[in-house]
Amino acid sequence: MLGRVLVGVAALLLLVFPLLSDDAYYQNMVILSLVFAIAASGLNIIMGYAGYVSLGHGAFIGLGGYTIGVMATRFDTVSPWLWVPLAGVVTMVVAIGLGFVSLRSSGASFVIITVAFLFLAQVVAVNWVGLTGGSGGLTLPLPGWDASYLNWPFYYALLGLLVLQVALSWWVRRTKLGMGLVAIRGDESKAATIGINLPVQKIIGFAASSFLVGAGGAVYGYYLTFIDPRGMFGILLSVQIILSLLIGGSGTLWGPVFGAFLIEPLNEVANNQFGGGNIRLLLFGGLLALVVIVLPQGVLPAIEGLLLRRRTAGKAGLVGARIRTEGVSLESLTSRNAGTVETAAPHAILQVQDLSKRFGGLRAVDHCTFDVRQGSITGLIGPNGSGKTTVFNLIDNTMSANGGTITFDGHRIEGLPAWDRAHRGLGRTFQITRLFRDMTVLENVVAAQRAFSMSQLTHIAVSGPEAKAAEELLQFVGMRDFRDQKARALSYGQQKLVELAQVLMLDPKLILLDEPAGGINPVLIERMGDMIRELNSYGTTFLIVEHNMPFVLDLCERVHVLGRGATMATGTPEQIRSDPAVIDAYLGEDFELEPERVQ
Amino acid sequence: MSQHARWRRRLSAPIVVGLVLLAAACGGNADKGGDKGAAASTKPIRIGASIPLTGQFSQQGKAAQEGYKVWQAMVNANGGLLGRQVELVIKDDASDQNTVVSDYNALISKDKVDLLIGTYSSLLNLPASAVAEKNKMLYIEPAGGAPKIFERGFQYLFFSQQATADKQGKSFAEWISSLPEDQRPKTAAYPTIDDPFVAPNVKGIRDVLEAAGVKTVYSTTYAVDLSNFDTIVSAMRSKQPDLVVHGAFFDDGVGMIRAMLKANFTPHWLYQTTAPSLGDEYAKAIGAENTQGIIFAISHAPQAKTPGNAEFVAKYGEMFSGLPPEDAADAFGAAEVLAAAVKAVGNTTDQKAMADWLRGNKVDTVLGTLSWDKDGRPQGEFLTGQWQNNKVEYILPQNFATTGQIVMGWEPGSKG
Amino acid sequence: MTEFLQYLVLGLLVGGVYALVASGLSLVFGVMKIINIAHGAFLILGAFLAYTIWSRLDIDPLLGIVIILPVTFVIGWGIYWAAVRPVRSAPIASTVLLTFGIALVVEALMGFAWGNNATSIRPGYGSESFHLAGLYMPKAQVYGGLVAIGVLVALGLFLTRTWLGRAIRAAAINPTGAELIGIKVVTVSALVFGIGTAAAGAGGAIIGVLYSFVPGTHYVWIARLLAIVVLGGLGSLNGAMIGAVVFGLAETFTAAYVSPAWATAFPYLIVFAVLLIRPQGLMGSRLREDAVAT
Repeated sequence: MLGRVLVGVAALLLLVFPLLSDDAYYQNMVILSLVFAIAASGLNIIMGYAGYVSLGHGAFIGLGGYTIGVMATRFDTVSPWLWVPLAGVVTMVVAIGLGFVSLRSSGASFVIITVAFLFLAQVVAVNWVGLTGGSGGLTLPLPGWDASYLNWPFYYALLGLLVLQVALSWWVRRTKLGMGLVAIRGDESKAATIGINLPVQKIIGFAASSFLVGAGGAVYGYYLTFIDPRGMFGILLSVQIILSLLIGGSGTLWGPVFGAFLIEPLNEVANNQFGGGNIRLLLFGGLLALVVIVLPQGVLPAIEGLLLRRRTAGKAGLVGARIRTEGVSLESLTSRNAGTVETAAPHAILQVQDLSKRFGGLRAVDHCTFDVRQGSITGLIGPNGSGKTTVFNLIDNTMSANGGTITFDGHRIEGLPAWDRAHRGLGRTFQITRLFRDMTVLENVVAAQRAFSMSQLTHIAVSGPEAKAAEELLQFVGMRDFRDQKARALSYGQQKLVELAQVLMLDPKLILLDEPAGGINPVLIERMGDMIRELNSYGTTFLIVEHNMPFVLDLCERVHVLGRGATMATGTPEQIRSDPAVIDAYLGEDFELEPERVQ
Repeated sequence: MSQHARWRRRLSAPIVVGLVLLAAACGGNADKGGDKGAAASTKPIRIGASIPLTGQFSQQGKAAQEGYKVWQAMVNANGGLLGRQVELVIKDDASDQNTVVSDYNALISKDKVDLLIGTYSSLLNLPASAVAEKNKMLYIEPAGGAPKIFERGFQYLFFSQQATADKQGKSFAEWISSLPEDQRPKTAAYPTIDDPFVAPNVKGIRDVLEAAGVKTVYSTTYAVDLSNFDTIVSAMRSKQPDLVVHGAFFDDGVGMIRAMLKANFTPHWLYQTTAPSLGDEYAKAIGAENTQGIIFAISHAPQAKTPGNAEFVAKYGEMFSGLPPEDAADAFGAAEVLAAAVKAVGNTTDQKAMADWLRGNKVDTVLGTLSWDKDGRPQGEFLTGQWQNNKVEYILPQNFATTGQIVMGWEPGSKG
Repeated sequence: MTEFLQYLVLGLLVGGVYALVASGLSLVFGVMKIINIAHGAFLILGAFLAYTIWSRLDIDPLLGIVIILPVTFVIGWGIYWAAVRPVRSAPIASTVLLTFGIALVVEALMGFAWGNNATSIRPGYGSESFHLAGLYMPKAQVYGGLVAIGVLVALGLFLTRTWLGRAIRAAAINPTGAELIGIKVVTVSALVFGIGTAAAGAGGAIIGVLYSFVPGTHYVWIARLLAIVVLGGLGSLNGAMIGAVVFGLAETFTAAYVSPAWATAFPYLIVFAVLLIRPQGLMGSRLREDAVAT
């Protein structure tokens, strides 16, 4: 409550400031701060949320400035304000282009691309003299309105744009789109396996991060009345934007705004009080280095962390509590899966034919062939190095195969991207859990996208029906109490449960479980088995890779045995147990299944 | 995340924003009481400028500052302006456009100076003059003659050199065109750096020469950060032009010459902008023996018999030792123009009257006698200089010339 | 034809110098997966140091490399311990930002120490050329190229023939494995950073003779260098050298046959094109696709 009041007070102050003081110097400072706040907040969407570091975001300000410059000088009878939305559109289009480029690169190469993009923009501005006036730049007419409120239109226009940008940022973070972006930052290929359409999400992220920045750039250009390549596409502009974002707190809502209002006045003071360009460089460079080393999260999150530690000092964390082992049966899941329970003759939901994968000279998967019957729990066992996890990786597109086909629910999927397979009903958990460490447990589950549609991306994820469905799944696996914990704080067993809930969010027809019983205590193993059986009773098919023989042979109705990348045996658990080849390769002569445990 | 953490996080941002604004509003308001045009005639006249003391234009910026300081010292020693002492408020814009805009805004509303004066380079004067115009204050700029500056219909803007950039080489071009057929160069090359002052300069010369029948065999505009001139020189060498008109600043001017010497390419005539005007530094850089015959244009010469020049040169030597560089003289000239306008109007507040007066009158300065058209463009002629026997002589216009002799072409390696 | 040969010669000579300068950057990335944006600033630092050596001590800048190498090595080594080591396991974006910050700081310090005016080193042979068969080869470029080759050969021998060199390569290929066999990866990393900086310093001395520079020139250079290592393949030393020569030729020919204005745009177009078409560059290798994020 107090927080909201303070936000309101600050907003009110910003609103009335020009009325209180016509000091052009401070108005100028606030105007520049607003420009940087808009840009930093925009950058936050692609960098803070999605994790794509861009050193070229300043180019969007420049593009906005040039749009208004070019249009205003060509059509000088029309008010330049008309071009502000157009500037946003132009910038967005270019950003989307950059987004397409980003699809092929990540991490280091992406950063390099953004720098190249910025410099290239500057060179084009310098050389395309017919359009941009070259290095001489473009001049806009002075504002025609009354001198007594000289700067007000610029001030309020930028303030309005900032409000819109922050609102956009806030809204995005709460939707499935935002969850997807944060998931991409956490673990891009994992995100793909839970149905997040990577290219589309990234492109939308770029668009959202640039539109209002371009509009802001146009207002800024009009304010300066002079637009030239050096001023509009200088690298220090981008540095200041990144610095504002990092210092304030990348990935937070108010961080970029706070950072911008901190850095710009600092910049002014450095230039005016301490005189000169080199001091400013020292300041920016030093701050940048310092922030990365000492305070990588930024000021706001650091304050938040400090307050949190103080508040929870001496209290035991929730994470250490025992997981509830009694389950909750999943009525709602039944209602969603109602249509898929079939009474027809068993058919293969998954057919793997002649699948092959080579790593250099090593043939990890060698013409492997097996199928999984609809509604069954099928096991996949074999010695270490037999290719089990690799087969999983091929099925869910974590890797691409060198040969062979994979047919899922009647369709060939080996050419499809991971999210497409997820949308068709394929889910997969990982041997080493891959949750998104910076997201909470609830966010991890709602990040999963069941189907792809643009409208679905706009659904609010942190509350409403999506969140409710996620909570139900969490309750099913016994992790509901942990819903607001960050995933990185969980133990291994807890993570496995959450990952299962995450996969269930996809409403899958087939779930690939990679060593579900590995590394967890016997009580939890039992709970796992119960959950699998329950889900199976609702019609979900399972393919399980496991080394825990009692678990597998107890649970599965059919088992495939892999050896050296190929299927060496198939049958019921009893058949497998007594198959001489299997005993020889894997189980061992003295293998004996323990007698059935008494409940 | 929990409610607590959420509102605490929201706390910090608005608090800081709020505090910054509160401080600003209070600070701003405190000055509101003081009034600019107070009658106190013993209060000094405050003239404000933002100059690039650091960054790309720092060398020229420092010279401009020196020019302003020399003027201030001379004026104050002579009883001041309108009986009041002159105070200079100088800020450093680090050769950056955003900063120059902030600086002039600060000068007007925070420092509340009485008068403004301009900065160095067209790129900085363009946005700065807009600030002055928005606030309806007289803006006299000492350096920044790009034609674009004067195409905006500004009422308060004046350029205090003799002509805009495109006319700087006019004397030279017309002189070349007037040479007898057998002495006139037949072909010419025009390499220039991409700058809104330099490029129009070269184009102005080229237009005159082409009209006189000198064929253009090569022309190029190179980027500001180009430092390897071998390729351009190679290309020019293959065309063998008689005359090279090189639009340059300093380091690229030097770089091009060194590249030409390396490639054994020495055109018969060489004209360069800016670099040759920098005296001993230029000679040292390209080798004193290579300077013979290089021609350039300049706005000021220490030896010229322009009004007040001798006193200016003497005072400069006393304060900073050595001869005043061109930029210092230009700054001095700008201050002279400002002072003339103030004296004519009789006060420091009626900026419009000052502007009107300048449009209708002439002012004597160390650069010569200056007058302006309705857009603030000056209507005079630059000096054309030539390196002769290890020093600079002025050859055009003839009435200001320091020597009647003109070396007919570039003769590198001949003197030293 | 002579004209074409002339440009070819100029391009190759320029490429040789680029190769020296790019090698340090490639080495650092190969071992530590750090894209050192400050490499350009170290280059200019080398140029300024060479300038001081030349103007104060009257020592030829190319000979002065002997002094510059150890000085810049120590600077690089020190910067690694002070600033880079703490973030060595951070995501690559952080190291890019960090090294960018370092570049700005170095630029500012150079500005304080040497001022912002254009500087160049002008030994006598700076405006002379060798003339051969109608072609001219600027002496400074030739000497510079020879020095570059010398340093590169020395570096190559060091990496392949000495124990330390092998340790460096081991640490680059598999840091964890290297630790297990007794190689202290942190020490090796500091060493490599120092070597990379020293290579930049040496390159800077040559650059200072060929071109004029100000502290802010490092932007132009780092853009060029990034383009070269991206073209050659991040992490491949041989790739960087090939990339450098290709780049020098491309730049020269663009300036000659298209326009000098576009010659400076060239690096950025290259970066885009290469990263789009063949992200691993000419000689780089792709990371394993199933690398699990931790």
